[in-house]
Amino acid sequence: MKIVVCIKQVPSTNDVKIDPQTHNLVRSADGVINPFDKNAIEAALKLRDQTNGEVILLSMGPESYRESLLEGLAMGADSAYLLSSRALGGADTLATGYPLSQAIQKIGDVELVLFGRQSVDADTGQVGPIVAEYLNVPQVTFAEAIDLTEDHHLIGKRRLDAAEQEVEVELPAAVTVRSEMNQPRYATPRQIQKSFEKPLTVWTEQDLDLDPERIGLAGSPTQVTQVYAPAAAKKRVTMLTGTPEHAVQELLQSL
Amino acid sequence: MTNESIWVYIQLNQDKIEPTSLQLLTKAKQIAEDKPVWAILLEPTTLTAEATIQQYGPDNILRLRDDRFAAATDEELADALEQVVTQYNPNSFLFPATTAGRSLAPRLQAKLQTGLTADCLDLAFDGDTLVQVKPTYGDNIMCDIICPDRRPQMATVRPNIFKAVRVPNSQTEVVSATFTFHPETTMTILNTTRLISQTASLSDAQTVIALGRGANQPKTIELARQLAAKMGGVVGVTRPLTDDPQFTHDQQIGQSGQTVAPDLLINLGISGAVQYTVGIQNANRIVSVNTDATAPIFADSDYGYVGDATEFLEGLLAQVK
Ligand SMILES: Cc1cc2nc3c(=O)[nH]c(=O)nc-3n(C[C@H](O)[C@H](O)[C@H](O)COP(=O)(O)OP(=O)(O)OC[C@H]3O[C@@H](n4cnc5c(N)ncnc54)[C@H](O)[C@@H]3O)c2cc1C
Ligand SMILES: Cc1cc2nc3c(=O)[nH]c(=O)nc-3n(C[C@H](O)[C@H](O)[C@H](O)COP(=O)(O)OP(=O)(O)OC[C@H]3O[C@@H](n4cnc5c(N)ncnc54)[C@H](O)[C@@H]3O)c2cc1C
Repeated sequence: MKIVVCIKQVPSTNDVKIDPQTHNLVRSADGVINPFDKNAIEAALKLRDQTNGEVILLSMGPESYRESLLEGLAMGADSAYLLSSRALGGADTLATGYPLSQAIQKIGDVELVLFGRQSVDADTGQVGPIVAEYLNVPQVTFAEAIDLTEDHHLIGKRRLDAAEQEVEVELPAAVTVRSEMNQPRYATPRQIQKSFEKPLTVWTEQDLDLDPERIGLAGSPTQVTQVYAPAAAKKRVTMLTGTPEHAVQELLQSL
Repeated sequence: MTNESIWVYIQLNQDKIEPTSLQLLTKAKQIAEDKPVWAILLEPTTLTAEATIQQYGPDNILRLRDDRFAAATDEELADALEQVVTQYNPNSFLFPATTAGRSLAPRLQAKLQTGLTADCLDLAFDGDTLVQVKPTYGDNIMCDIICPDRRPQMATVRPNIFKAVRVPNSQTEVVSATFTFHPETTMTILNTTRLISQTASLSDAQTVIALGRGANQPKTIELARQLAAKMGGVVGVTRPLTDDPQFTHDQQIGQSGQTVAPDLLINLGISGAVQYTVGIQNANRIVSVNTDATAPIFADSDYGYVGDATEFLEGLLAQVK
């Protein structure tokens, strides 16, 4: 069974600042696999080992995203695809979901597509459901556990807002994974060595026969018009003094 | 033709209305200017949520009734919503940024080929354009996002950012929608178990005692529980304390946890990282205790005390009635 795991590369820290002169984001250049996507890779590797399947990584982004794909291969995935070209850049979630779903169709016979529950930078969690819609498959979002049944179904446990839900879907299906699902494995030195020999294919919009109106900036209905630091609506603090007993007294009097 | 209405999705958690949907009705009315506000209700016939919704003053309630909505999949809900959106062409469509909303809205977005801004902290109209304020990079950065050319303009909005205000509207018109329920044949909801949710009690609590890494001793935690019981409040924690098996993620306050809006919040041994403080912006009065006089938490507090969390707790327990 073919399992595709969609992964995004994110900055290694969220400690970004705004340059006061240029108003541009200042962020570290080094990227890592979005942490939730590691849980998705781990889930895929476990299912592969049960079913003799194949785990294929898929990412859309600049050349530098190779690093994350290599890291995922070193965790044990079998092959990887990178969708990369200028025309794909500047995409919002809608224009990210479209090329990803087209690539999954081109890979062919994919029975399960896994996502992280959300990225830790832009943080929308939208790409998984968008791809599920384009592929016209059922979605299990915010999954805490998944299991395959004998008859080609998947049982998923989801955590909802005030409830827990168990669902059964017929494959193919899409699942977004919570970190509670598992503990991602570390790459062993031997796996890291092997990762460089595994197939990593780069596709552009031409390889996928994409509609140019639906990709990149042109295909993105949303526009970011302004980026700024949160307004610090700071309070004026009254400090309590003396012994803890005294401070509590002071507090209770003023409340 | 675009109907200039603002739509709010009424999320039902089994037989209860998700509070965020009511908060969004209030916010929509505040920013609407003269645009009508519609509540969109997908409801099984066993329920009548209309009376409650009307208390929050929408101009219209668009009601889709089918018993299968008692346990419908994201695809089934999105399919029904797509049918009514294409009938009425609203200006914008707001969803709670809850698990349910964040699963459903992007599925609908892809059907409608429009934009969706995630987890907004604020909304405002600039003419007919909805300016959506969204945090990124773990709430370290804000951005304004618009969707100028396509409709509806869709957004999910974080729970407990706005307060729901009752303004009953005797003019609210209930409109029954025409649609066809298309069952999703490849997915079955086996069961849905309601959780006796600490989340709900934390986000609704009027008094919250919050513990951080500087208040993680067993004795301190026990005292905090006693104080919470005495004051009719609940205990919340920062992220590091969720490593302790006696706390779950449901009790975490902050960007990746709950947003709280109590009348009184007492922070004990909490440094005040932005990922934490974003979850407490709607607390009315904030008291913070920290051994470090330079801890950033004091800048977000109404009252501060430089000292030991446990001793302060003991003082409170002794003096609070
Ligand atoms: C400041 C800022 C704010 C933004 N806000 C919005 C917004 O509100 N709405 C909007 O539509 N777009 C927004 N975007 C654009 C958005 O970041 C990109 O579309 C991005 O490619 C995917 O969105 P995400 O990071 O939210 O991923 P999510 O949807 O949170 O990611 C969920 C999962 O999808 C998969 N995935 C995501 N991206 C990729 C990828 N490139 N390749 C492979 N798999 C992937 C991963 O499995 C990931 O765990 C914003 C961008 C910026 C810079
Ligand atoms: C993407 C992302 C999301 C995150 N989401 C969240 C979130 O939702 N919620 C959250 O809380 N965090 C979140 N964090 C983590 C956050 O950045 C901080 O690390 C965390 O809030 C710190 O918790 P703390 O204040 O308990 O601990 P610390 O920062 O270690 O602070 C402990 C404080 O206790 C004080 N102290 C020590 N001893 C005593 C004593 N005896 N009495 C009184 N005070 C004492 C110290 O002076 C210090 O200020 C997130 C981080 C990231 C990167």
